This record gives sequence, C-alpha cells and structure tokens, in this order.
Amino acid sequence: MFLEIKNLSKVYPNGVKALNDITLTLGKGMFGLLGPNGAGKSTLMRTIATLQDPDSGSIHLDGIDVVHEKNEVRKVLGYLPQDFGFYPKVSALDLLNHFAILKGISDKRQRKEIIDALLQQTNLYEERKRSVSEYSGGMRQRFGIAQALLGNPKLIIVDEPTAGLDPMERNRFHNILSEIGEQVIVILSTHIVDDVRSLCNRLVVMNNGSILLEGTPASTVEAIQGKIWSMAVEKTDFTHYRQTMRVISHHVSEGKMVVHVYADERPEEGFEQAAASLEDVYFSTITENRG
Amino acid sequence: MFREIFAFELKTAMRRPYTYLYFGILFLLTLLIGMAASEVFDTTRSDSLTIRNSAGAIANILLGTSSSIFSILVSILLISSMATVIQKDYEYNMHPLFFTKPVSKPGYFFGRLLGGSTVAVFIFSGLLLGYWMGSLFGMGKPVMGNYRLMNYLQPFLLFTLPNILFLGILFFSLTTYLRTAMAAYVVAIVLMVLQIASDNITANLDNKTLAALLEPSGAEALRLVTQYWSPAERNTNMIPLRDEILYNRLLWLGVSLLIGTVSYTGFSFSQFLQPLRLFTGKVRPEAPVRHGPLTLDKLPKVDPSYGTATAWRQMLAIAQFEAHKMLRSVFYIVMCLLAVGTCLLIVRFMDSMYESSTWLVTYKVVENVMGSYNLYMVIFIIFHSGTSVWRDREANIQELIGVTPVANTALLTARILAFSLAMAVMLALVSAAGIGIQLYSGFTDIDLGQYASMILMNMAVGIVFIAIALSMQVYSPNRYLGFFLTLLPLLLIPILSSIFEWSHPLLDINGTGEARPYSDMNVYGGTLPQWLIYRTYWISLSATLCLLAVILYPRGKEKGIRARWKLSRHIDPAFLRWGFAATLTATAASGTIIHYQTHVLADVRKPKDQEKEAADLEKRFSRYKYLPQPRITTVTLEVDIHPDEKTLQIKGIYTLRNKTVSPIDTLYIDYPSGRKSPYHYPIFKPTVPARIAVDDKNHGIRIYTLAKPILPGDSIGFEFKMQYIPNGLFARSASPVVDNGTFLNSSLLPSIGYLGDAELSQNKARQEYGLQPKPRMARVDDSAALMNNYISRDADWIRFEATVSTQEGQRAIAPGYLVKDWTNNGRHYFQYRMDSPILHFFSFLSARYELRKDKWKDVNIEVWYHKGHEYNINRMVKGIKRALDYYTKHFGPYQHRQVRILEFPRYASFAQSFPNTIPFSEAIGFITKVEDGPDDIDVPFYVTAHEVAHQWWAHQVIGGDVQGSVLMSETMSQYSALMVMQQEYGKEAMKKFLKYEMDRYLLGRVGEWRGEMPLMLVENQQYIHYNKGSVVMYALQDYLGEARLNGAIRTYLEKTRFSGPPYTNSIDFVDHIRAVTPDTLQYLVTDLFEKITIHENYVKALDTSRLPDGRYRVTLTVGSAKFYADSLGRERKVKVADLIDVSVFGTRMERGKERQVTLASQRVWMDKPEKTFEWLLKEKPHSAGIDPNHLLIDRNAKNNTARFGEKPVVPDLNPGGNPMMMLMNSKEE
Repeated sequence: MFLEIKNLSKVYPNGVKALNDITLTLGKGMFGLLGPNGAGKSTLMRTIATLQDPDSGSIHLDGIDVVHEKNEVRKVLGYLPQDFGFYPKVSALDLLNHFAILKGISDKRQRKEIIDALLQQTNLYEERKRSVSEYSGGMRQRFGIAQALLGNPKLIIVDEPTAGLDPMERNRFHNILSEIGEQVIVILSTHIVDDVRSLCNRLVVMNNGSILLEGTPASTVEAIQGKIWSMAVEKTDFTHYRQTMRVISHHVSEGKMVVHVYADERPEEGFEQAAASLEDVYFSTITENRG
Repeated sequence: MFREIFAFELKTAMRRPYTYLYFGILFLLTLLIGMAASEVFDTTRSDSLTIRNSAGAIANILLGTSSSIFSILVSILLISSMATVIQKDYEYNMHPLFFTKPVSKPGYFFGRLLGGSTVAVFIFSGLLLGYWMGSLFGMGKPVMGNYRLMNYLQPFLLFTLPNILFLGILFFSLTTYLRTAMAAYVVAIVLMVLQIASDNITANLDNKTLAALLEPSGAEALRLVTQYWSPAERNTNMIPLRDEILYNRLLWLGVSLLIGTVSYTGFSFSQFLQPLRLFTGKVRPEAPVRHGPLTLDKLPKVDPSYGTATAWRQMLAIAQFEAHKMLRSVFYIVMCLLAVGTCLLIVRFMDSMYESSTWLVTYKVVENVMGSYNLYMVIFIIFHSGTSVWRDREANIQELIGVTPVANTALLTARILAFSLAMAVMLALVSAAGIGIQLYSGFTDIDLGQYASMILMNMAVGIVFIAIALSMQVYSPNRYLGFFLTLLPLLLIPILSSIFEWSHPLLDINGTGEARPYSDMNVYGGTLPQWLIYRTYWISLSATLCLLAVILYPRGKEKGIRARWKLSRHIDPAFLRWGFAATLTATAASGTIIHYQTHVLADVRKPKDQEKEAADLEKRFSRYKYLPQPRITTVTLEVDIHPDEKTLQIKGIYTLRNKTVSPIDTLYIDYPSGRKSPYHYPIFKPTVPARIAVDDKNHGIRIYTLAKPILPGDSIGFEFKMQYIPNGLFARSASPVVDNGTFLNSSLLPSIGYLGDAELSQNKARQEYGLQPKPRMARVDDSAALMNNYISRDADWIRFEATVSTQEGQRAIAPGYLVKDWTNNGRHYFQYRMDSPILHFFSFLSARYELRKDKWKDVNIEVWYHKGHEYNINRMVKGIKRALDYYTKHFGPYQHRQVRILEFPRYASFAQSFPNTIPFSEAIGFITKVEDGPDDIDVPFYVTAHEVAHQWWAHQVIGGDVQGSVLMSETMSQYSALMVMQQEYGKEAMKKFLKYEMDRYLLGRVGEWRGEMPLMLVENQQYIHYNKGSVVMYALQDYLGEARLNGAIRTYLEKTRFSGPPYTNSIDFVDHIRAVTPDTLQYLVTDLFEKITIHENYVKALDTSRLPDGRYRVTLTVGSAKFYADSLGRERKVKVADLIDVSVFGTRMERGKERQVTLASQRVWMDKPEKTFEWLLKEKPHSAGIDPNHLLIDRNAKNNTARFGEKPVVPDLNPGGNPMMMLMNSKEE
C-alpha cells in the first residue's frame, strides 16, 4: 500500500505558490505533515483528496491515478477536513447513513452494522439521535472520524483535527488516530508538533509549498542532537541574540526570556546544551529556510 | 456617530459593482421602454390621444414595474441592497467589532438603515432616469408633450420613493430581527399576493375602494382616482394627492413607520448573540465518556458497490434528503398555502360578466388553478434552487460530500427529482382545492381527466424551469447572481419582444406554442403533437444546460469556472459526448421542426412588414375604390366541412347584377390568399367570357375585363370552388375547421370590389408611407357611403341557399330552413333555403349537438347545445319568447319562422345574430350561473334578448356604411333587451345593469385613441354604442315614456324596413325621436344624441327635523352642473336648465331585510346651478338626492345622494387646475 506523489506543483491565480515540486512516498502508518499556516499543507491534502487539481505532477495510490481517476480514489478515501459543518437539524444517525449511501454501502444491513459500530467506537451512540450541528467541538471531531472511516478506507486524510479541542478531547482523539494508523495510510496535517511526536512514525516539514525535511521523529531529533543550546536571558538583550546567532525559538519563563539557539558549538558563555526535541527540529527547519 | 456610519454604509455600497449593475439594468430597461414610447424603433405605429410623458403616463411606467413577477425582482434588489445591511455584520461576524466601539444604538441603526435606503433610492432612480433619457428621443414628436420636470419627479416622489422606504424598512426590520433574508422574501411574496388579490377583487365595483387602499404600491389607488379621466385630463393633470391616493400613501407610510419603530425599539446590540429561536430545545448535558480503545478490526467489513444500482440508490437518497428538506421548509408551505388561497380567491372573483358567476365547470377551475399555481411554483423554484444548490456550501459540508464516490450527475439529478416531487405535491394540493371549490359550489360533474392531464402537462413545463434554475445556480458564483440569471431572461425577453415586435416561438421561454384553450366542445383541439414538439425542444435545451451543470457542479472549495471544469476531467467522456450529442440533436431537430412549421410553411411577417404590405396594397389598388361594380343578388353554396382532416371546401355561385345606370366591363374580386396560402381555387371565374387583367395572388386580388359589358339591370354569374387545406401539422390545430364545433362565417368568401378593410387605419402609420389621413368612418351624410350598408359593401338584400355537409354524427347548420337532409358515403348533407331576402351575412356551424325544441306562436324555437351544457337552456328559450312578445308588439312583425341558438367553442366569447340563426359561445350564457333575485343579472336571458332584437335591428333595418349606423343596430338591440329585462325582472333589477353600463362607458372613453363621438355619430366604438347607448336609451324612455318612444321607433322601422340602397342613417332615426318629443325636452335629445354631455349632480346640504305633529320636515339643497366634452374630453361648462329628479328615501324592513323606499320624488327644472327643496313627510327620511337613479351621465355618481346627518362633500367644479395648488389643497384636507 503506497501513496506516491511526484513533482506536484500548484500556483494560485494570485501568484501564491501553494505546492512547489513536492515528491513523497508514503506507506502504511501515520504520516505527519508539519508546517506553519499557509505552508501549503491544506492544498496538498485537498489535492490528494480529489478536491483540487494540481498544475503539474502526479499522485498515485496503489496504481490509481489520483488526478485522473478521482472516483477510484474516492472509493477508498476517508477525509476529515480542517473546517467543516453539518446540515442543521439532521441527526448523527441520519447523516452517517446518508454518507454511507454516498460511499456506496448499498446493503441496508451492512450499513446499519457499520454505523452502529462506528457510533459505538467513537462513543457517540448515546447521542446518535441528536442533531450534529448541536454537538460540542470534540463530538463533532469524533463524528468527523466516524464518517471518514465509513467503507473501509485505505487512505485517511486528517487536516488539523485537534485545533480547538480541549486537552481531554485531544487525548481521546489521538488514541483513535493511533489505532487507525496501524492499519492504513493516515496523513495528519498539523502545526502542533506534539501531535506528530505522539502519533506519527514519519513526518514531513513543509513551508512555502516546499518540503524542507523528511524522516522519522526519532531520526530527525537525532540529527540535531547536541546542536541545541539554551539560556535564560534578559528581555532587553533579546535583540542582541537574535542578531548574532540563530535563535530558533524563545519563550518567557519566570520573567526571563529562554532562547533556543541552533549551533554546532556553544555560541556564548552561559548557554547550556539542551536535549533536542521535535519542536527544535521543527523550528530549526523553518528558520533555516527563512534565512 | 450617525454620520460616520451612514457615510461608511454609503461608501461601501457605492464601491460594490452590484449597486451599479442593478441601477444599470433598471436604467436600460426603462430607457428601452422610453425609446419605444418615443417611436425610435422601426416598429408599427398606432394613433393615440394621450402623450407618453404626462405625470400619469410616467407613474404608470414606474408602477408598471411593480407587477407580480417584476415585484419579486424589485424585492430582491431591495433585500440585497437594503435589508441585509445589519444582518451582514452578523453573518460575517463583524458585529463585535462595531459593538465594542462606542457606537450609539440610534447612530448604528439609523445610520445603516438610511445608508441602505439612500443606496436603494439611487438604484431605483435608474427607472426614472432611464425613462427620462428614453423619452427625450421623442422631442418634437406628437407622442411627447412639454417636458415638465414635475411630470417626472412627482410620480417618483409619490410612488417610487415611499414604496422603497416602505418595502425597504419592512425587509430591513424583518431581516435584522430574524437574521435571515428568507422571511423578507416570504413577505415580499405575500405583498405580491395582495396586489394580485386587489387586482382580482376589483371585478366587483363595490370593492374598488378597499382594493385601492390595501394594495401597497399605490397603483390600484392611482387607477381608481384617475379611472374616468379623459385623454385631455390625462395629458395635462398632475397626479392628485387626494382621496384614495392620499389615504393609501398615508396608510402604508404609517405601517412602515410603525414597523420601523417596533424594530428599532426591539433592536439591541446583543440580539444575535443568541440565535433567535421559536422553540427552545432542552440543552442536554454531554454523555459521560466511556472510552475503550478503537480498533478497525472490530469494525464490521462492508463491501461497497459502485454499479448503476448504487448510483441510482445514491441519487434517490439525495433526492429523498432534498425533498424532505424542501417539503418541510416554511417557504414551501407558505407557497402552497398562497397557491391554494389565490386559487380560491381567483375562482371566487372569476371573470364575471355583469357580476354574475358561472358554473364551475372543470376547465374554468383548472385554468385558474394552473394560473395561481404557476406563479408560486416558479417563485419557489427560483428561490429554492438557490437554497438547494448552495446548501452544501453554506453548511460547509461540501468537502465531506465532495470526497465521496458520488457522481455529479446524481447530485444534480437528485435535486431535479426532489423539485419535481415538490411540484407534483403542490399541483395535487391546488387540484384538490379546485375540486373542493367545485363541490362546494354545487358542481358535481367533475372531469378528473382534465385535472390529470393538467398535472402532467404542468410537470413537463415545470421541469424545464427547474433545470434552468438549478443550472444557473450551479454556474453562478453566488446565489443572488443565480436568481438574477434565472429571472432576467424571464422578464427581459417578453419586454424586448414587445418593444421590438419579435414573435418567434423559440424566443418564448419554455413556451408551448400557440394553442386554443380547452373547450368542453372541442377538448384540447388536437394540439398534442405540437405540444410534444415544443416540450422536446425546451426539455432537451434545458438538458443541455444540465449537462454543462454536471461538469461545473461545485465539489469542494473550487470557485472558478475553469477550476471546476478541470476538476471534472474524470467524468466519463463518452457519457458527456453522447449526452451532449443527444440533447443538442433533439434541440436542433425539434427547433427546426418548430421553425419549419411556424415560419417556413406559413408566411410570417413582422408587424412592421405587414404594415408596409398594407400600404403597398392600398397604393396599388385604392384607385379601384369608386369603380362601379355589379352587386351580389343571390348566393348558392355547397359547403363541405371535414372535421377529421380539418379541411373545408366551398363551391359557390353568385349572381351579380348591374344596379348602376351604365354598363360595367370590369369585375374586381377580392379573395382570401397570400404567400403560402392554405386557400386554393380549382374553379374561379365569371360565367361569361372574360380576360384576367390583374392577378395578384399575394394580395388575393383578381380583376377581369369582361368580353361583353354587363348592361344596366343585367346579371352575370361568378362561380368558384375554394379549398382550405392547412399547411402542416401546427396549422391543423389552428384551422377554422375543428373536431367538434366549427364556426365559419361569410367573411371568408370571395367578395366583389375594392374593400378598403386592409387599409392602414392608424394615421401615424399612414403618414409614414405617404398616405392621406383616413377618417375612421364616412360622415353620417356621405351620400356615396350611404349606398352601402355597413355589413357588406358588395350586396344589398340577397337570396340565399346552401347545402352544408359534415361527417356523419355531426349536424351542420346554416341560415334558412332545412329543406332536406341525407347521408352519403359517411357524410351528412343538409340543404337550407331562405325564403325572404337577407343581408349578405351568414354562418356555417358543425358539431355534435343536443337539441331543445319549443314554439312561440308559429315560430319554431331551437337550441342546439353541447351535451352537459343544459344549465340555462330554459332561460334562453324564455328570453326568445319574451323578446318575440315585446318586439312584435312594439316594433313590428318578425320576418322569419324560426329562431335558433347554436353553441360554439369558447375560442370566441360572443353571441352573434345571423338571419334566424344565433351562434352563441359556450363561454357566455351556457355556463352562467344565475341566482334568482334582484342582485343577479340574468345574463343568458339578456344576451338572448339582445341577439333576437338584432333580427329587427340590423336584419330589418340596416344603416349605411357611415357614422352612427350602429345606433340602429347595437344600441337599439341593447335598448330592446333592456325593455324585455325590465318587463321580466322589474325596474329595481335594472339599476345594477345600468350602473355597469355607466361604468363601462366612463372607463371606455378613457382608452379612446382617435376621439370620442356623440352617440349619433358613433364610429363603431363599443363603449359608446353598447354602454352609453344603454344609459341614453334608458333615460330617454324614462323622460319620454316607453310607449311614446316605442311609437316613434315603430314609425321609423316601418319606414326603413328592408330598404336601401340608399340606406338610412342615424339622423333619420333621431329625427323620428324628435318628432314625438315635446319642445321642452328637445334639449335632452340634443344632449343625449348629438353632444357628449357630462353632468355633475350633487347634494350640497340636507337637513330634517321632526315636527310636533309627528311629520318630518326635509330641506334639500342640490346642485347641477353640465359640461359638453369635445372628442379629447376637454370639457366646457354650459348653462344648466334641465329636468332632473330629486327624491327623498326612507327605509323599511321587508322580510328581515332593510330595503330602500321612495318617500317623495319630483322631476324638477334645475334652472339654477343650485336649488333648495322642502318636503313634509310622514315617515322618517334616510337619504335624499338628485338624479338618484343615475339617468344622466355623471362621473361622480356617489355624491348624487347623501344621508341625513352626514355632511355632503361639494365637488370641485373647475377640475384640472394648477397642480401645485392641488398638492397644497390636499394637504389641508
């Protein structure tokens, strides 16, 4: 089971390069797509999900030409977009049934079985007769997963699924995703590094439509191990550090500014070597690109 | 703060391209109308007495754009430009930005509202500016008067501006309150219904005031206040802000102020933070989470299928979902209720003749059901197609749907299906309502088949609208543009077609071709093949649009047309190729057939070309106008009617006699012909040797030079065989020969001499082609014209014989007495012979008839009618008998031994009197429902009496071909019928009838295009010879006495029976009346016949007091003014010295009902403008007045009487004063 993306490019009419010669090969498992807002993640996802066409390049899923055989892909696709809504006054059960038919599950008994199972699994069974538009954020996301899982998908695309969820719900959601990731190709797009660390076995960092980094979370962290230096500095001095060294991130702690700097050697007296994290990988990648 | 908000609103709106688009469309529309009014385009010209830039004309243009479907467009414009200004802040979540700033509530509310209003006023000023620009093209032409600024501004300020404010505030309040524009749309439609309703209820005279007040645009009020305005008044007067116009404007401005106030008071910045809900549902706590690990292994395996069956299943599922949403939407339910309500309303106030209702036969109800349903369904389709196509995107679920393996075809087809279901349900509902009304009215002979075919036919028409509306929404980048794209062709093409005189059937959007209406006699008239071809054309054309919509169907978030096109590359190209091939082929094929049938087989010309043709004909042949010609003296015909083939053959021979004093060597024949003519002439020749001198087949004129001239007093024969064979399929259903109920008359036969009928009658058009202006009719004393009677110019009194054949099972009827009938070879022959001379005017009918026979003395009465139409046969028979009684007693003997009434299909709705034969339309009389009692006019009885009277008035006395001759036919028939009715139903029953006649006359003179004539000089103007004629003759018999008047009539009749040429004229007739009129009343004869006389009779003051002896003293001051009007309606006040009734009325209870009784009545000389009278009465008076029975023509009938205790309103006797004065006067009122 492979998803092969080759030389995918897309330029919007306003001149924005959303995809710039993307080439990727994905196998079974959870694949994390990291990048800041506007990096081109959603465009890539939508293009794989047959909702947009690239200007050039190709996508193949196990021999299906995604760009030209959209309907074939749609048969094995589960998609949870970043931003979606529901018809007002339609219950979860009815809506799921509607989607099941659209996904081609024509047999009534089968439909009922899978819908019941999915509602149970996503813990929505008790609330199945309520209108989805009245669901809370977490329930909506779970419903989103339920509809994405209809019809045994081989490829599941999840765009920013945990945005806006409280920590409890986010946790629950991760559990669900990691379960799925063991069996099919799951592409998870996010700008939250933690999501990727806890869930994905592979990741890609994107910015400005290009792939900047690819690898497993562990290997990417390993690659920068020993190059991350940290120090708490006065806020007033921050500009100085930014100008003189490669600051990849900073945050305020106890009134002082803690800066992380990427360098092969200790950049200055007072900096301590810090254990590299995936966050450092992410920030170092996108700052490197910026420079 | 107000200023900033207002300026902000204005600035943003003026930056939107839509603002200018809307303005531009309105501007262009009225620009075109204005240019058409200025006669810029090369189209036909017609004469008119009114100018097109008077205040009234401009008001009608501005208000004309608020009728039914156009009013919906206006509402869309208002809603999108004005109603949503606040709602949008919420929709785009802008409101916190406003409300967290120090903005005051009035500043925000009124700033936005006034900003929106200003923009709306700008948009609608397009209407005024466009018409103004357009009308400038007419500068210097007689169609335009002086360009007075006030003529343009006043209607705008009186109607457009308040209407924008009223509707705008209403929509704004609703939308702001309910946070959805839908409520505003529903209200817009309700208002439209109010307009339709007020249009409908005005059929009853008493409802006019109510309708004028309730109709929100003010159009009805304008119509009522100016209804009797003469052309002269229309051209010069400003719109008076008084009476109904004032009250209507005040009422609706008040309503909008009220709504505005309520909305303002109720508005608070936080109102939308909680969505407004009708029912607050219980907020349930979230269920506790019990989370076990999710495993895909535990999920049951499914095996989805993607075949055709699944595609159908998916399509049906979406259709079901859509239908579910649709049928439960408030909008749909409201539309259904309105459709049913309108249907009930229309049927209730259906086209009544003299207010008498008809039996609710199925076709009447079905047509009205269709009428009311159609509008609502089209509105529903237009709006809901937006909702349906945009639902996925608005609910933001489109990406979830987009990634499922469901085809675009299914997404679109499902919606078409759901709409079709909604349409079927609405049709079923209105049909049920229709059947309900029929049953309720006591009509049980319901034809369910007609309902069924109506539903099927409407479905086939509606599906095209559905397909178009959905396709437009799919193409469009937003739903407002979608509405516009759908509505614009529906509105614009008819307007453009009428401006440029286009008439191609392929331009008639979703048309079904010209077809006769359903008739009980001739059912659908064989139009099914034609109907199917038209349906194929429109359905396949809309299917092409749908295929395009399949490609462009929005999936996901792609917006551009190109991106969507690209996204659909995967759709099976074979499907698209074959689909487009099939729909385009079907469109082209059916379109070609339609074009071939309507434009290749038939000679179709634009009206302008016809005009040129007529001018050419006149230039070529009018020199033969005074060529002496022999006259037809006998007509012998063999008429073969073939209802199956829709063909006709007439073999005939005329005897032509030289009645002049010199020999005639040229014979001029005018016959039905033309390019591609369906008429053919295997035989066509004089019976004596002759040479063809001129042969113009295109105009149907042939001129023979006779080898030997016809000497004075000698005769020759002219024989012909004429065949009518319809050209093609469509022409068959337009043939004068129909399956059942053929009605032909003598006008389709060849005639002798130059006719002049085809000459252009409009002087404006004549001028264009260099032709001299033509009088509408020859002068009353034109001695040449008096040598012809006004029915035929080539014959006087003739002998007539005809054998008419038809297919077996039908009866063929012609004037005369049946000599014998026989059958041969499946055909039934009837030989008729007339035993006395008749006019050259006869008819042939053929149908499957039922017969009712009766007898009056030795006269046979026969009513030949369609089975099922028995309702009023008795009344017709009674009408014949009473008429024969009265006319033989008062006028003279009846010249025939039979009277026959023959029913014919409703393709025309009149009855017409031929010699002893009266064809009578199924639409009038036969299905009239007459309630007994003084309030209902017995229409079948009246029409019958009128037609029987023609056997005297026209068939015994016929006037010359000059002005005034219809006085002795139509007016006298009208008078005769009035007297028969009065004898049968009494004086009281006449009041209502005469009230209608007065109203029709006063309304009729308003639409005059060449000049009103006094009754004695009437030029075939129906409002004069029928309606004014009734009023005048009734007054005359009241003043002179019935017996004295009838005496004069009898003398005149005896003198003129069967005489001519030369023929009698109206001067002779009026002289006979003068001869029996006392000197004191000679003025009355002058006023009634020789002048256009208008009275203004009114009560000035009245009072009553009780005397000690129990009696009542009554004083009454009345006034009378008399005006003579010229042909334009310009009035000149003349001295009044007339004999007029003054009366006092009381009330008495009779059988539980209060009835008016006359307590005192005197005919007095009003020799001063105002006079006071006094009475002592035993009973308590209730009301009093002058000319209470409305014998004299008076535009303001209401003020003739007044009630005691009320202060009468004294009319303005110098109307047409300074318009500014009028505005100020009305303010004081």
